[in-house]
Amino acid sequence: MSIITTVGGRLSQAFLLLLVMSLIGFVGIHSVGNPVYNIVNIETATTEDIRRATIALGLDQPLWQQYLLFLKNVVTGNFGTSYIYHLPAFDLVMSKLPATFELASIAMLIAAPTGIMLGLLAGRRHGSSVDRNVLKASVSALSIPSFWLSMMLIMLGAVILGWFPSGGRGATVSLFSREWSFLTLDGLRHLTLPALALAVPNIALIARLARSGTIEMESQDFTRFCRAKGLSSRRILFRHTLPNISVPIVTIVGMQFGGMLAFAVVVETIFAWPGVGKLLIDSIQLLDRPVLMATLTFVSVAFVGLNAIVDLFYAVLDPRVRLSA
Amino acid sequence: MKQDSIQRPLLEVSNLTLKHRATSGATTILRDVSMKLHRGEILGLIGESGAGKSTLGNAILGLLTPEFERTAGTILFNGQALESMDERQWDAIRGRRISAVFQDHTASLDPLMTIGAQLEETIRATDGNVSAHQARARAFDLLVRVGIPNPHERYASFPHQFSGGQRQRVVIAIALAGTPQIIVADEPTSALDATVQKQILRLLRELVDETGVSVILVTHDMGVVAEITDKVVVMKRGEVVEADTTSTILDDPRKGYTRRLLAAVPRLRVRSCEQSDNRSSTDREMGSDAEAPILIVQGVTKTFSGQGFPWFRKHTRKLALRNVSVRLARGAITGIVGESGSGKSTVGRIIAGLETAGEGTLDIDGTSYDISLPGQRSGLLGRVQMIFQDPAVSLNPRMSVAETLQESVRFGSRRPLGARPDVATMMERLGLAQSLLARYPHQLSGGQKQRVCIARALLAGPQIIVADEPTSALDVSVQAEIAKLLKEMVTEQAVSMLFISHDLALVQELCSSVYIFKEGVVEDAGSSEFIFSRSRNSYTRSLIDARPRRFTY
Repeated sequence: MSIITTVGGRLSQAFLLLLVMSLIGFVGIHSVGNPVYNIVNIETATTEDIRRATIALGLDQPLWQQYLLFLKNVVTGNFGTSYIYHLPAFDLVMSKLPATFELASIAMLIAAPTGIMLGLLAGRRHGSSVDRNVLKASVSALSIPSFWLSMMLIMLGAVILGWFPSGGRGATVSLFSREWSFLTLDGLRHLTLPALALAVPNIALIARLARSGTIEMESQDFTRFCRAKGLSSRRILFRHTLPNISVPIVTIVGMQFGGMLAFAVVVETIFAWPGVGKLLIDSIQLLDRPVLMATLTFVSVAFVGLNAIVDLFYAVLDPRVRLSA
Repeated sequence: MKQDSIQRPLLEVSNLTLKHRATSGATTILRDVSMKLHRGEILGLIGESGAGKSTLGNAILGLLTPEFERTAGTILFNGQALESMDERQWDAIRGRRISAVFQDHTASLDPLMTIGAQLEETIRATDGNVSAHQARARAFDLLVRVGIPNPHERYASFPHQFSGGQRQRVVIAIALAGTPQIIVADEPTSALDATVQKQILRLLRELVDETGVSVILVTHDMGVVAEITDKVVVMKRGEVVEADTTSTILDDPRKGYTRRLLAAVPRLRVRSCEQSDNRSSTDREMGSDAEAPILIVQGVTKTFSGQGFPWFRKHTRKLALRNVSVRLARGAITGIVGESGSGKSTVGRIIAGLETAGEGTLDIDGTSYDISLPGQRSGLLGRVQMIFQDPAVSLNPRMSVAETLQESVRFGSRRPLGARPDVATMMERLGLAQSLLARYPHQLSGGQKQRVCIARALLAGPQIIVADEPTSALDVSVQAEIAKLLKEMVTEQAVSMLFISHDLALVQELCSSVYIFKEGVVEDAGSSEFIFSRSRNSYTRSLIDARPRRFTY
């Protein structure tokens, strides 16, 4: 009963979100400029050419009619054809997805364990030199602009050491009819630097969160009771403290993962990584409305989905959430 | 057994002096403390807050934080010097030789782990040779021993699925898991209801008699000391005031401080007056009916919606209050007594307009308020002022005393301006020096903070004050002062008061009439004299019987 109503509530919220998002995106890109001038060759096109292109793209209609037409098409699963690539917009987004997904996943696989370990360590020794260094490092990691970090990584890893390539995706393997880099050694080498560039700020964020949670847990009665009943401090840290601080960490991991799927623009651009973020920024620059709308829709759906997964995790982690009293 | 081995104490603290180092300088927490604990003995460590009794307990458990520094003295356990041990040596002691039970049974257990797993974990940590199967069997035995019904069914339950008393039983089982020789029990029953407290104390006594374990019982409650201890050490400001057998301390205290502590314990009178027989049952009616009550609450019913994750939530609507009616006579103090979860605080918050209720009516001085609406909308908010249990958290830490009180004067009053008492007079009346006006809550003592809370409530000029356990977070000696002050204020300031408490003796002292709440229902009600001396209600009787015999007469 209540599962249905909750899921229903969630879905209707997601629906509303998508509607608002599409409206903002639609009006926003309309106000940036006329896409026709990016499509026809300005040098050679006659007024007649421009008029025909405008009619062909449906841009002669009033904006609200264009929007309604867009909505109607979306309902039938059609986001339109890219003005630039002349490919279905949705397929275009989907073709970029594996690259973004594997990059974000690997970045998070690096960031979450590292951040948690550093945070536990710092929080356990609150006030020690380890703690102070973790804090200082996290402040600098959070304040470094990601383009600078990316370039430093290229300089160190690609130019000076020469261990990693400076950009591109490398060799890929086909799996589920999509191309993946992480299954080949060359692909992994290409993944390393951009993944690190994405991971560093997340490590800092997660470490800070884990640290403050650990400090709070250490002051709680049950960790004191665990010591009194004779458990080793290592067991207390991993078996008792860690599960108890994981709810906020899971939340932030979910949100940051969503952010990396959509907005890793800077890193993807610098490393020439053909991902969704790069597609999004390109489509805004070229006023490629169908692709922009398809990307934004995907991003919104991804965030809603991640939020639902995070909620499920709460229930897995915490019996008080799982079982009603 | 040789006489010699009986005589030698299991634990001996000699001349222990501990300092606490902070950036503001070092303070001496324990000064020259000595005590002895023998096998199979329950030793009570009693004192008010700041006496250093918990610090001593932590020192015996090796749980002092690094800011504490020992400057003199020894702690000898079985001939081993505990005070100079490092963490590795402590690992062989903690849980295996010396174990602990803490006050807060909710916070003592890991909320994410089943109680069975927490027990097994302790058994395996304290005994390296035990197999998983044996550990499980021993865990069951322990649960049976501490009186958890259906241990097989409850084994995989999480802490929040137990009641407070059962949780504390589980904590005791865990403390026993490593078969220790000493259990340091720091206020083990302070967070429990009186009836449950009695059961837990009885369990501790049984365990001591059966297993020969020794218990150091840290407490502020003379009732607990009288109930189960063999010996008592009275502490004050880090020093031992007096140490003797329990009966000597209770019957023939040498020191003035001990006498004062004993005198401060509220006594309950249960023997009815001589003339009670020839009174009719009409005095069950409370107060005089000559004047209309200032507050009439009728038929209040409230449900809480279920808690938990929405996707998994079953329909667990819980009835918090069922058809509750309360009357408060003008200028009187009426008591509401009940154990935790009885709905007594909920009623108080509904009357103050801080919570809504589904059904019921509320009249103050002839005006009706709609309690199904939030307080701001119904206009009820501010009419009734509240005094909360813990003054430490009910004052805004960022506001000075003056700011807090002036806010109350400015926004609270519904009286004509001229009749409004001013801050200075109120401070003086409540025994607060004017110099405290510039201070912030953390610079005040517990008693001072609660006085500020009382001043805040009175300065708003209410007709009714709801005091929700206003003395429970305070030391015994301070409790008595605050109770006396509340009683005087009701007369002087012409207010009426609802006094919510679990302490029967205090309610008897203050209140002219009493309501007994149980599971959201008014179980018993009547004049104070009727309830305590003649009520035949079995629940009322069980509450009275849960009081330590020593402090009832």
